[in-house]
Amino acid sequence: MQQKLLNEAMAGVAGGNDFQWCFSQVKGAIDEDVAEADIISTVEFNYSGDLLATGDKGGRVVIFQHEQESKNRPHLRGEYNVYSTFQSHEPEFDYLKSLEIEEKINKIRWLPQQNAAHFLLSTNDKTIKLWKISERDKRADGYNLKDEDGRLRDPFRITSLRVPVLMPMDLMVEASPRRIFANAHTYHINSISVNSDHETYLSADDLRINLWHLEITDRSFNIVDIKPANMEELTEVITAAECHPHQCNVFVYSSSKGTIRLCDMRAAALCDRHSKFFEEPEDPSSRSFFSEIISSISDVKFSHSGRYMMTRDYLSVKVWDLNMENRPVETYQVHEYLRSKLCSLYENDCIFDKFECCWNGSDSAIMTGSYNNFFRMFDRNTRRDITLEASRESSKPRATLKPRKVSTGGKRKKDEISVDSLDFNKKILHTAWHPKDNVIAVAATNNLYIFQDKIN
Amino acid sequence: MILKGQKRKLDPEDVEVSEPSSPVWESQRQFVFSVSLNKYQRGQELPEPSLRRSVLIANTLRQITLPSADREELQPPSGSLCRLHAKERESIFTESKPNSVLMAGDPMCSLNGSPLTNCYHSGDSGVTTTGDDEDEDWGSMSTDSDFSLSAAISSILTALDSTIDGSPQAAPRTPLRSLENLSGPSERGSAWVKHGTRAGGVSCAPQGEETVQESCADVGKPSYLNDIMMEDLFQDVDSSLLERDMGGLGIRSSRVGYPAEEELICYLPPSSSSSSHPFSLSLNSNLKCLPSFSSFSPLLSSPSPSSPESASFSSQNQARDGFELEHLMEILVES
Repeated sequence: MQQKLLNEAMAGVAGGNDFQWCFSQVKGAIDEDVAEADIISTVEFNYSGDLLATGDKGGRVVIFQHEQESKNRPHLRGEYNVYSTFQSHEPEFDYLKSLEIEEKINKIRWLPQQNAAHFLLSTNDKTIKLWKISERDKRADGYNLKDEDGRLRDPFRITSLRVPVLMPMDLMVEASPRRIFANAHTYHINSISVNSDHETYLSADDLRINLWHLEITDRSFNIVDIKPANMEELTEVITAAECHPHQCNVFVYSSSKGTIRLCDMRAAALCDRHSKFFEEPEDPSSRSFFSEIISSISDVKFSHSGRYMMTRDYLSVKVWDLNMENRPVETYQVHEYLRSKLCSLYENDCIFDKFECCWNGSDSAIMTGSYNNFFRMFDRNTRRDITLEASRESSKPRATLKPRKVSTGGKRKKDEISVDSLDFNKKILHTAWHPKDNVIAVAATNNLYIFQDKIN
Repeated sequence: MILKGQKRKLDPEDVEVSEPSSPVWESQRQFVFSVSLNKYQRGQELPEPSLRRSVLIANTLRQITLPSADREELQPPSGSLCRLHAKERESIFTESKPNSVLMAGDPMCSLNGSPLTNCYHSGDSGVTTTGDDEDEDWGSMSTDSDFSLSAAISSILTALDSTIDGSPQAAPRTPLRSLENLSGPSERGSAWVKHGTRAGGVSCAPQGEETVQESCADVGKPSYLNDIMMEDLFQDVDSSLLERDMGGLGIRSSRVGYPAEEELICYLPPSSSSSSHPFSLSLNSNLKCLPSFSSFSPLLSSPSPSSPESASFSSQNQARDGFELEHLMEILVES
């Protein structure tokens, strides 16, 4: 059903079909002046898709909850409304190195739900925290030792005992830090990933990957260490890491040189030696000064099936079959028109932007962001792609998103935008796809856009 | 770069150049080199530069300055290309050619360790990466782990002293550390000559100008080498200087090396500019020249005015140490 819908979505691009992506909601301030702290730095749906968490540069986490569809208007999906907001990380100061540690949330990962409460891991550059988000909708009434105001009653005045009664109250969502995993990373944490055993998780910084147990905060196992004995020889850093969705002994990590290493934790305690090494041979005809920089992988994601993984480098998204190491099975160009602009993009630092990518629930489509608030979706089956824009202009309720096109040639058609007119300050680095439905969350600087398919 | 609605001229750099030996390619290469240098230095000025970014920029710089044999991997081999690069290499060693190619060739050779080092140093006297001597020297240093300001000041002073008396080698050159020496090619050149001809001298901090650079300006130091630098810095302690008690600094003395150094540097230039002391002047000029490879351009001009001062500096070495130390302490206490 999912696949059919998506096929129709892609066909709808060409015109004729009813299925299309449409605007649902936008969260965040409309002001032109964007406060640095409000810039969204990570977006993540939970396992059921009911909760959507965002982290920002100010160290805050905002969780949205999916409201049930209204019975009166069943053709609309429910909306996401704020469920909980809390300050996850505060700015810290490393006294030994005299450095400030940013509170920016680099990643949020949900744990699978095991009881009424929800758990998520959030991390900044140095510290990972396990948060419990729980609801409280009842309160105890009729205490013996304190009265309604909370003041202690005079014990001599207590003449009888009563059992407190649970009374309903307004729903209160509480977020409390349950574990703090600190002091295990010398370098900046770029990834966290919960293992399929639901007991352990890994955290990766530029040079090392550690394996943690969710219950144990004072120790972690170092499983990958690529720090050379002589730092002068450092030429490669770890850029992303992820646990396999089903095999709890397998994980992958990507590097700044465009390589991915798959490691098996059963092979050795220290997984410096990979089990599989994924690298695509370079095309000599497209070699430039920036070849290495644009080959640096900014994100790696396993497919839900666990058979494939997807990597995002500066200009493309590649889908790899885990059984084939020498080249990807699919390559999608995200914004090939930027290849001739690499020099300028290097100059203005855009070439170092780290875009994320994500799979849809059925692994039939992938999505990633670009500049000018554009984001791209690729259907793996039909090989169709679509470029959409997250903008306030197209933010009317249930307004269908119009496909966008960037003109590369001399002639610019109507409704096309030329490469030179792209706004490189408006970049979509973080996107998330609902695990089951066709609902996507796109972070555009300080705004969160939610788009969904139009059900007919 | 590109503002919405703003018209851009056709940028020559944006034109995809496929001919590696063409002048456009060469100019693009030089442009990328200067931009990379600039970027790298600015990145290092940040309190905590991004390691990924630094590594990528360093790799790009390394790639730009590869010798022709390796560079041919990048482009289709061509006879003319080989000849061009052979000539380039030749020119590096024949005279001090004030262009980015030379600058690229000279210090960047140390990036790739021994194979390239050997390749580049056939005619060059100054730059090698034989870290062994340096390691031995470091090893023999006092392993004082006292992170006091006094230790930091002493090490800075001894490092400054050793601009004249240091070893002729550029000792454990990290690939990124070596870029610091690009700030003033001719003054470095003259200093290197001095190193080569001088014998003996101050017993500690034999790293010479490199240590001057790294200790005087943390701005030039890659942060991911911090671990090494810390140890090196605090091993480089002249016990004779330590005898002078710096305890009066109180709170400051508990702070660790780098911030102390930076504070010291903050204080030194204003005071030294007002002082007529030759040491202060040369120190000031050294400090001025240190972060200047952000202003590095392919065409480098006349020898730095600091060379005569460094000559005078060289002649008044150890006798001034005690006086300077007290002088510095006065400045710090006053401020």
